Amino acid sequence: MAEADPEADRRMLENIADWCDRYTPLVGLDPPDGLVLDVTGCAHLFGGEAALCRDLVARLARQGFRARLAVADTVGAAWGVARYGTPGVIAKDETAAAVLPLPIAALRVEPDIVTALATSGLKCVSDLACRPRAPLAARFGKGLVLRLDQALGRADEPITPRLPVPDAMAEQRFHEPIAREDDVLGTVEHLARQLAIVLERRGEGARLIGLALFRTDGKVHRLEIGTGAPLRDAARVRKLFEERLAVLGDACDPGFGFDMIRLSALVTERSDPAQTGLAGPDHAEDLAHLIDRLGARFGLRRVSRLVPQDTHIPEFAVIAVPAHGICGALAAPSLVDQDTLSVTRPLRLFEWPEQVEVMAQVPDGPPIRFRWRHVLHDVAVVEGPERIAIEWWRDDRGNKLTRDYFRVENRLGMRAWLYREGLYGRETPQPNWYLHGLFA
Amino acid sequence: MGHLSPRLNHLRQALVGLDPTLGPGLHEPERALRLNVPGIDAALSGGLARGAVHEFAPAAPIHLTSATGFAIALAALAGREQGETLWIAPDFAVMESGGPYGPGLGLFGLPAARLLVLRVPRSIDALWAMEEALRCRALAGVIAELAEDSIADLTATRRLVLAARESGGMGFLLRHRASGVPSAAATRWTIAASPSRPDRYGGIGRAAFDLSLVKNRRGPTGRWTITWDQHERTFQTAVSLAVAETAFDRPDRTPSVRTG
Repeated sequence: MAEADPEADRRMLENIADWCDRYTPLVGLDPPDGLVLDVTGCAHLFGGEAALCRDLVARLARQGFRARLAVADTVGAAWGVARYGTPGVIAKDETAAAVLPLPIAALRVEPDIVTALATSGLKCVSDLACRPRAPLAARFGKGLVLRLDQALGRADEPITPRLPVPDAMAEQRFHEPIAREDDVLGTVEHLARQLAIVLERRGEGARLIGLALFRTDGKVHRLEIGTGAPLRDAARVRKLFEERLAVLGDACDPGFGFDMIRLSALVTERSDPAQTGLAGPDHAEDLAHLIDRLGARFGLRRVSRLVPQDTHIPEFAVIAVPAHGICGALAAPSLVDQDTLSVTRPLRLFEWPEQVEVMAQVPDGPPIRFRWRHVLHDVAVVEGPERIAIEWWRDDRGNKLTRDYFRVENRLGMRAWLYREGLYGRETPQPNWYLHGLFA
Repeated sequence: MGHLSPRLNHLRQALVGLDPTLGPGLHEPERALRLNVPGIDAALSGGLARGAVHEFAPAAPIHLTSATGFAIALAALAGREQGETLWIAPDFAVMESGGPYGPGLGLFGLPAARLLVLRVPRSIDALWAMEEALRCRALAGVIAELAEDSIADLTATRRLVLAARESGGMGFLLRHRASGVPSAAATRWTIAASPSRPDRYGGIGRAAFDLSLVKNRRGPTGRWTITWDQHERTFQTAVSLAVAETAFDRPDRTPSVRTG
């Protein structure tokens, strides 16, 4: 006995859906217990629809699941037949014949509608199909007629795929599962070469590449790699996944091996061949690849460029923007440049200003001595104050105190950037002091 | 120097070893990064070697920013106003000592537009990333911060040196603590901030560094006090140490105006 756990059931269904991805990229969830697969154009890869069904049922059975399976022209017909009819493949022109004898519940309608219909003596689909539609719709709602049309192929019903359908993909199946990282990476390179042919024909390169590793026991590992520029080069794709696998380590456990590997270009972008100059090697591409590699290893957000912003607040004056996607030609806005050239700013800035004890002759005067990290520093030279008021639209934390910044140099030559938070007497009776940055 | 016979090469190196002042003439100019401070360039036989790794450490933890400034200025010089520089900073180092701040970097000749910043979770990752980046010819310089000194040992630094030699790039290893760990770096510097000479208005003058070259593969070691001229983007010899030291005797509130 076990408590019902709808969440866990759903996760299990999603795992199975992941695994079913091996048959077609178009897999939709049909909670609580169904999956919808669009096998149009895929069945021949498995030796026809009947063979595909046998393969799927057998593999699921090996994992301990019992499945009822129907292949039909419409989602509605397959749904009904799988649950209420004889599972199997329904030939192209036999949809109506297969659906009509089914009970009305097979139409995916609400149970109270089924009961209401039953009390009127309408028990199977054929009873409904021969009635005039208008009274049915008026009495039981438009949903019933729609479901009937969908089952019989008179109305269209799209499948909502769980995962984005890739623009291009390449896959490799193995009779003997592979487990060594070298083999996996070799396959990735091989698949990337196939993918490159498709992408090259379209004049495109991949910006987001997905790798799906199908384990023999049904688990699917999915990795994604983003690139800064459209990419086709197979060796580089391999290198990127090598970095990612190196970081993942045990998280990407091959178990008893992978029996299928799929590489897909999830996002593609136009990529025209560039004319290489005679003047010498151009390193821009090398740099883009280095950024991709570092991004694959540490996460794309960790490789960043510092972009100046139009504000005087020191901690907001520069923000780190992921370098991925920004090319080297990014120029700092000239307006901000002019602003910052005139004032001296520290070389290192603390993310969180550190509170210091400061001694000053008068409460709103410059510091004479300060204690930072338990060490007392005597101020030899001081410059300031430079008054920076917090912009009124940034007071979301109620922090509106004006800051007076001082550049100080101690006896040893260490230079620090201190500020007093709050104007003495006007904004606060007891201003606090902070050390915000250090100069060279 | 690839086209020279090994024997000739060897003789030249021996000559430099005998008399470091011969250095500048014997080394090809682009193989070395000149600091334009005569004493230092002579000791380095022409300048800081390219295709090598150089180590910087503060004399005391509070001087870390000075060491950072010196390394940044060198990386900027190495880039010759166009190359990109990668700064690798472990999370811990940023938390402990602050992160690189764009507007301040510009004062040391490295505008934020030419800088890439990589934050890594652990110090050991910084070494890996540095080796990878040194192999990339697109980068003029790679700066890596290390909060722990024991991991960059002889083996680790030798890997970095090999990567740098292959591509001709420059690696700047910024240790947060002066360390006695042997390393394969071409030079090792210990840097302390030096009291600046106040400017005309009694404010804080140019950034001054007290440099100690504690290890030099190509010549003698030495000690210099230099300043960084942020307008000319160049190092200059500071006044002699003795004059700078008088600052210690200055009373607290004396207006700090001096001549010379």
